[in-house]
Amino acid sequence: MAEHKRITLYAAVDSPFVHRVRLALEEAKATYDIIWIDLLNKPEWYQEKVNPTGKIPVLVYGGPKLHADEEPSPEAERLTESLVILEFLVDIFPEARLLPTDPVSRARARLFYETVETVTLQPFFRFIFLDAPAETVLSALETLQAMLPPSGFVVGDWSIADAAFVAILIRLEVYLKNGLGAYRPEVGKEALEAFESPRFARLRTYLEDNKARPSMAKAFEEDAVKTKMQQRVERFRKTGIVNGFFRLPLPSTE
Amino acid sequence: MVQTGQITFYTHTRSVYCHRVHIALEEANAAYTLHSVNLKERPAWYAKVNPAGKIPAITYGGPKAPPEDPAPEAIKINESLIILEFLADLFPEAKLLPSDPVLRAQARLFMNTVDQHLFEGFKRFLFNYTEGAEKALLDGFEALQMRLPPAGFAVGEWSIADAAAAPFLVRIELLLKHDLGTFPEGEGPKVLQVLQGPKFARVMKYLEDCKTRSSVKALVTLL
Repeated sequence: MAEHKRITLYAAVDSPFVHRVRLALEEAKATYDIIWIDLLNKPEWYQEKVNPTGKIPVLVYGGPKLHADEEPSPEAERLTESLVILEFLVDIFPEARLLPTDPVSRARARLFYETVETVTLQPFFRFIFLDAPAETVLSALETLQAMLPPSGFVVGDWSIADAAFVAILIRLEVYLKNGLGAYRPEVGKEALEAFESPRFARLRTYLEDNKARPSMAKAFEEDAVKTKMQQRVERFRKTGIVNGFFRLPLPSTE
Repeated sequence: MVQTGQITFYTHTRSVYCHRVHIALEEANAAYTLHSVNLKERPAWYAKVNPAGKIPAITYGGPKAPPEDPAPEAIKINESLIILEFLADLFPEAKLLPSDPVLRAQARLFMNTVDQHLFEGFKRFLFNYTEGAEKALLDGFEALQMRLPPAGFAVGEWSIADAAAAPFLVRIELLLKHDLGTFPEGEGPKVLQVLQGPKFARVMKYLEDCKTRSSVKALVTLL
């Protein structure tokens, strides 16, 4: 295996975008350092020293070992955008085959993860926080389910297309099973029933296939995700803040 | 690698997204069949190429088939950036992306900046003008400029990042010059003048460099 430069990942346990990258790093059996950022209590140094937009993940490639509150070396490469980072990992770990080598399969993988971005993210977010109907998420899941082959992963073997999707999918399952989110309990129950119905049999098998991989065990701490989500929902109820970029006016008391 | 499959390219002369693909096809020296899609009256058969009805789209592989009746075995690819990545994979000797992983990531972040910042500014200033939209457009140019190396193209050598950016930049310049858009009359040339000032020198040089590329030159007349 070729020599790699140091990989440092700025991460948060509750971010699906970070999760995508960790899955790929684990599948590549990469050595990497994690610097944890608490998204509910983001330290100022992160925006000042690492990423002016404040977003995570950031993957730093090269440079010396980093600690919290340090600025990455100017010679090191700072990469943002989970999907760009996934493609970067494909390129630096060719032997891990994080994407197939043939152009057509690669295009299929990309069409899949682009579809994940364009059809699931907004509905997922709006359903969890903004009272959007569950059906908006469920029909997005149906679109993606229809793109899966009869068995296995998106393009047969596991690829970054699976990382991109399963990070969202597993969170939806965890949230629904634990009633986590700002939706009403009966809405959540109905959504969970739909998720567990025959309509999504193929999707659930796909999710189990992903969970069975060692990479998932290493990259997903379910209890920590639940705890953080609970805190986030509580904060939302008190302040209207969803995340650093989105805040709702508080509803008037009913 | 010798091109092993047919390419049919569904396009329209006025679509900047299609221009991206035109440029990449030319840079790759690909053999392809071009089919112009009537955007105002999309034919029913086009759903076989792209159920969402959008262009650009390409089909690749499968037996030879007329554009109106693509073979089921042919893969249908839409989304301009996915098509660009596909062409980079299909024609490795054309070096549509560099081989260095860091430069490839930078190329992708550049394309991301075009589609997020620059396009946002473009939309707001040219199509949905509201007060202060000039700033969104200029911010888009600045975001792109920050990603440019001191000289050359987006990642030094020409790449699909430039195929992605050039059609937008050329189109924006043209619309501003001719004062075409939903912004108040006279604002177009005013903003262009700001862009021609020292603050934006690097990105405007980049635009000029793009325009000298023969694959881009061929399209400029279409815009």
